[in-house]
Amino acid sequence: MCVDFVRTGAGKGAVAAVLAAFALAGAGCEERSALKRPAHGAGGGGETEVILCDGSTPGAVAAAATGQVLADSLMDQWKRAHPERDWVEVEKEQHELKPPADNSALLKGGQGPEHPYGRVTKQELLLWARETEKFVVEGSRIFHSAELLGSTVAVSCDMCHPHAANTHPETYPKYQTQLGRAVLLRDMIEWCIENPVRGAHLSGDDPRMRALEAYIIAQRSGTVMVYGKH
Amino acid sequence: MKIKHKSVETRYMEARREFFNGLARVDRRSFLKISAAAAGAAAASGLIPYHSFQPVAVAAEAQPAFKFAYISDSHLYEKHINDRFVRSLLRAVEDVNALDPQPDFVLYGGDLAQLGRPKELKLGAEILKGVKAPLRMMVGEHDWYLDLGAQWRELFGAPTYSFDHKGVHFVTLNSVVERDFWTARGLTPMQRMMTVAGLDNGVQSPFSVGAEQLEWLRNDLAGVAPTTPVVVFSHSPLYKLYKKWNFWTDDAEDVQALLARFANVTVIHGHTHQILTNRIGSIHFHGVLATAWPWPYAPEGLPELTIQMSRPDPFNPMDGCGNGEVHVHADGLVDKVYNLWNRAPIIVGRRYLVSNGKEAVPPAPNRISY
Amino acid sequence: MECTKAPRRGTAAAMIGTLAVMLACAAGADGAQPREIPRDQFGAAHAAFQEAELAKLLPAGDVTKAPAGFDPVIWEAFIPEDNAQTPERVELGRKLYFDTRLSLDNTVSCATCHDVTRGFTDQLPVSVGIKNQLGRRNAPTVVNTALLQTLFLDGRSPTLEHQAKLPIVNPIEMGMPDGETAVKAIKDDAEYRAAFKKAYGREVNHDDIGRALAAFERTLVFIDSPFRRFLAGDTEAISPEAQEGWELFNEKARCVACHPISQGNPLGTDNRFHNIGVSARHQDFEKLAIEALKALRDDPSEEKLDELALTTDMSELGRFMVSKQRGDIGAFRTSMLLNVGITAPYMHDGSIATLWDVLDHYNKGGEPNLFLDGGIEALALTEPEIDRLVAFLFTLTDVRFAEDNAREFARQKARAEAERPLRDNAAAFRKKLWQEK
Repeated sequence: MCVDFVRTGAGKGAVAAVLAAFALAGAGCEERSALKRPAHGAGGGGETEVILCDGSTPGAVAAAATGQVLADSLMDQWKRAHPERDWVEVEKEQHELKPPADNSALLKGGQGPEHPYGRVTKQELLLWARETEKFVVEGSRIFHSAELLGSTVAVSCDMCHPHAANTHPETYPKYQTQLGRAVLLRDMIEWCIENPVRGAHLSGDDPRMRALEAYIIAQRSGTVMVYGKH
Repeated sequence: MKIKHKSVETRYMEARREFFNGLARVDRRSFLKISAAAAGAAAASGLIPYHSFQPVAVAAEAQPAFKFAYISDSHLYEKHINDRFVRSLLRAVEDVNALDPQPDFVLYGGDLAQLGRPKELKLGAEILKGVKAPLRMMVGEHDWYLDLGAQWRELFGAPTYSFDHKGVHFVTLNSVVERDFWTARGLTPMQRMMTVAGLDNGVQSPFSVGAEQLEWLRNDLAGVAPTTPVVVFSHSPLYKLYKKWNFWTDDAEDVQALLARFANVTVIHGHTHQILTNRIGSIHFHGVLATAWPWPYAPEGLPELTIQMSRPDPFNPMDGCGNGEVHVHADGLVDKVYNLWNRAPIIVGRRYLVSNGKEAVPPAPNRISY
Repeated sequence: MECTKAPRRGTAAAMIGTLAVMLACAAGADGAQPREIPRDQFGAAHAAFQEAELAKLLPAGDVTKAPAGFDPVIWEAFIPEDNAQTPERVELGRKLYFDTRLSLDNTVSCATCHDVTRGFTDQLPVSVGIKNQLGRRNAPTVVNTALLQTLFLDGRSPTLEHQAKLPIVNPIEMGMPDGETAVKAIKDDAEYRAAFKKAYGREVNHDDIGRALAAFERTLVFIDSPFRRFLAGDTEAISPEAQEGWELFNEKARCVACHPISQGNPLGTDNRFHNIGVSARHQDFEKLAIEALKALRDDPSEEKLDELALTTDMSELGRFMVSKQRGDIGAFRTSMLLNVGITAPYMHDGSIATLWDVLDHYNKGGEPNLFLDGGIEALALTEPEIDRLVAFLFTLTDVRFAEDNAREFARQKARAEAERPLRDNAAAFRKKLWQEK
């Protein structure tokens, strides 16, 4: 099992190289080294083509990459090449998540066989639930990772909001005193990223922001919406 | 006679003596920056004790027999990674040094480092050398799970120990022992540490004291008379509050059973980063404040006696944080003083717990966790 | 060249044009007022001159309505029930405001320290009262005080009515021994007797003096700044540099949390009390706090508090004197930012000379002390970022003071170019943390 390894961003060359070795080892890839059997020589644009640690997936890294950067790049490529990898289950094991609503009632009833409009299938429900869940799980990953948040002080959201406690998404829109105006949830998420997390500005359309919002809202599933509550 | 083994105390006194000898060479302005209690002598005439800052009702308590202070949960990274946590610990040390009169000793409540790395622990040790009063260390999970306590022992000695002070028997436990969850998963030390470091990470095991320490505790308490006041220092709360955040000690009942025969027992615990008050039988439980950040209150399991601290403002990274004191009375029960930064202090007094929440009720905030 | 030409309202071009003119006039005048204004021993313009200026700034309008463009619902909430705005009350208050008879030796009026020609303050670090006694606190501007939730820098007055009475009886401000003496000083004036009757239907009395002054002060609303127009949608109203400053204000510089500015609250203050480490430069708070508690226990009257706050070292304790709470030691009310350009010098003791210095103070994380508000921390702002923030702050001045604003900008800029005593880059960029040797 290739466990995702949350990095702390402290990487200097030597330390990072050691950590990189741990990362590859922890990924269950002790037997193979990524650079053991390069299929080709240096590719165009300063990239080196490689075979990833499973011995079969091809990849490429910037020729100048070393240490942590190299390890991250290899890991990312492997993950992307293996979408079936159970990162969702891994995240769910670490961080309990509320599941999306149960829509199985939609399978029953309907307007009878002469009125096919509105029918849903089990596979559809599964697809909707799975995609929604993945969106929320991605948010959980970012929420719990100082690095993915872009923090320059190694602070992640869960340090003040375990299980997204005390985020109160159901109270928006409201006048947020820290911002001096009435705002939406994502404005406050952005504020938190710029202030306690001391990361760079994250725009509302950034996929990371959207995933964070998804996770935070999901965790309060079932709570009554009371906008303006302080 | 050659001294083969130096106790934690001796090593600390020596290091501190060295530090202060160094201070003597420092100019006055810098010295004032380091210890704001320089004016202690001037304040002595017509001295109004610290209680004068408190609401009158609480200040009417009988004078304690002695007091100690606490600093806890600093979660240090190296300064270049996170300056805020370092600032907060420096500020806590200043606060405690400014106390007049000085406490008998200062308890460090655990989680000195954030990821248990040697540089973090050493940075913490260095900063804590600035504390004037004697220091008592307690270990937390963030200090422990990178190397299972190797660096901690080297710096601070054994995590489990006891001592007597002015008629009170003090016990310090390592109450963050977790069943091995890392070997089967093939986790590296850092992965293990990162797992434990996530409060809401469900992969880790619940905290416990463990059979070995229970045995040690049984023996340690064997010779102590039931009328002797007992104070237990523990990082986890020694009761079961909220398992999902490890506000929990799995063998709490076993520990409580060992303590049950004593007339007055107080547990002072860290880990929860908030005001927390509980009473189970003759045992009073008090949480301590963190210097690094506050936790929200658990959605369930909050003891009835706990009156929450007012919900912190994230703009102020020090809000909901601070340090404090424990005023120990002759019967061994305590007034717990929470010195919240930028707020008026909150005192959860002996009378409040003794009366099971009827008297000397601390003020309830208008904004709580929900 | 007409140095006193009033600027046309509105466009940035007009502002720049005026600025150019002002700079030319101010050149070589190192901070001295270039206008020919007759001033008294305290530096205050003569009452007649001030009243004429005021008439120009605020032509007669309907005092019973909310100021133009201001949320009328919020405005209503600030008018007390027993002191609704009427023209008679405002007129009476205006008369009292400029009247030196309310001081012991007939030299000081409200207008002395809250001078129409000096931003409705005195532009001095601390104020000077009768017999040339020096106070401890910087005089806040009277402009827009109608919209504050408490008055005085330590919030010891809950209303304008309450506040207006206290300087009259403060020993180093206007020096009257008590309210009755103040009443006696004007009671024999038939005009006053008639005016009080018309305004309040009563004989001259101390409380109504406060009410009338408050009614007058409520008309001193100057919220029409270029920035307000920018917020309302005029993207040309402030320079691009100032717009970037506004972004920094909301983000990296962390100003907005204590200085919120919106249509409903244009003042730029949260009305709360914070220790930002200005006083910490020169005292031992613990010692002072213990002394203060003793003194206030011996004499808990509000006059005593008023006196201690202005005449002794305890002034530095700020809000603590009022609340006696440890968390309030050295805390003062967040100043309003509206018209900040013309109310130098800054902070409760006037110890910070220019807005560049103010930013240096915040940039380094204030001055460390045991009671510093934890929200104050090093900001790592670069010089261009500071310039943008200052440019933004100068857009917060009402357009009717544009001349003064431009002159102040030039004066402060010249001074900031010569020296920046509070700049500390090691602290600002977190190379050196507070308390470190």
